Amino acid sequence: MDADHKFLIAKIAQGDKHALAALYRALERPVYRFIVSRLNDPVEASDILHDVFMDVWRSAGRFEGRSKVQTWIFGIAYRKSIDAMRKRGRLDLTDETPDMVDDGPDQETCLAACQEAEHVRHCLGTLKDDHRTAITLAFYQDMTYCEIAEVAGVPEGTVKTRIFHAKKLLMRCLSGRVERGLT
Amino acid sequence: MTCDEVNELLPFRANGTLEGEELVAVEAALAADADLRAELAVLIAIRDTMQAEEAQSPGDFGLARLLRDVEAEARGPTPLAANDNVVSLTRLRIWQVAAAVVLAVGIGFTLPQFATSPEPVAGRDAESAVGEGYSLASGGETADFTVIFSPDASEREIRALLLDAGVEIVSGPSAIGLYRLNLLDSASRNDALEILSGADIIGDIE
Repeated sequence: MDADHKFLIAKIAQGDKHALAALYRALERPVYRFIVSRLNDPVEASDILHDVFMDVWRSAGRFEGRSKVQTWIFGIAYRKSIDAMRKRGRLDLTDETPDMVDDGPDQETCLAACQEAEHVRHCLGTLKDDHRTAITLAFYQDMTYCEIAEVAGVPEGTVKTRIFHAKKLLMRCLSGRVERGLT
Repeated sequence: MTCDEVNELLPFRANGTLEGEELVAVEAALAADADLRAELAVLIAIRDTMQAEEAQSPGDFGLARLLRDVEAEARGPTPLAANDNVVSLTRLRIWQVAAAVVLAVGIGFTLPQFATSPEPVAGRDAESAVGEGYSLASGGETADFTVIFSPDASEREIRALLLDAGVEIVSGPSAIGLYRLNLLDSASRNDALEILSGADIIGDIE
């Protein structure tokens, strides 16, 4: 798959619009889903998706092939989303984690809750942006922690820590919703 | 591998990307710990639920917009700098313009019926009567051009076109999505008309 993407990028670098269209069709949906998960605004996400692929068109010649094409494009989308959040004044750059009491959530309750899309959507929305981004890339896009680190421009250890805290907060939120009888 | 390290890697066991020694270590921990297996089941369920969510992406419309902008960029640089002479359009929503165009089409069917009543004034045709009877909701001043922008036109594209043609928005959008444009001091009417008429993002121009 990545070899196909790299072939398309090479063609795009030569000005091939058909290759750009093919790459857009291959990656538009996951990239859009990633952006919208960060911004929660479909209109703004569409504009950023557009800007991402314009950047791909303009800078395909500078792609060195050291990473996957998908990782490179998600990195562009990540940075553009940050710019958008910065403009809104909504960016939280600290890596602090909320205090958590040490009792683990009931996993049976949690298992029931996490099969309900509404619960999962709500609880993802309660996470800080860096936690939500890490979980989204891991579970929507099935990325390795190395790839997530590359997209977000942080060390691998930071990604593991973010995922660890995001997982705990997510499970706590999910079991809490069931225990409070929310549907 | 410590318990914390296994916990940090568990999400990557859930998404199937763990390999080599890390995978072996996590599998060994899972075999020995029922709580860890239960947590993995939860993570897999969360992942499955997230992956089942559909997102309505821009699809072919987004691709058409992309290719159009790529073409435009290939034709030459577009002035993108802010200009105080141009009315600032903040976050023009695609759906708002789309709704305006739908309304415009509907009213386009309705107008001719009103144009014939009351009695046409002698010496005037129906078109001028319509011009007198209906005005833009926002602004009554005269304008050099009246246009409708296409539904998928972005603010940036509109701004660039206005700069290129040497015009500014003096009123609009009206309830049916019309904008009135006036020439800037140094602009030529014929040049502006040619540029506006040839622009992809102009749906209609008078």
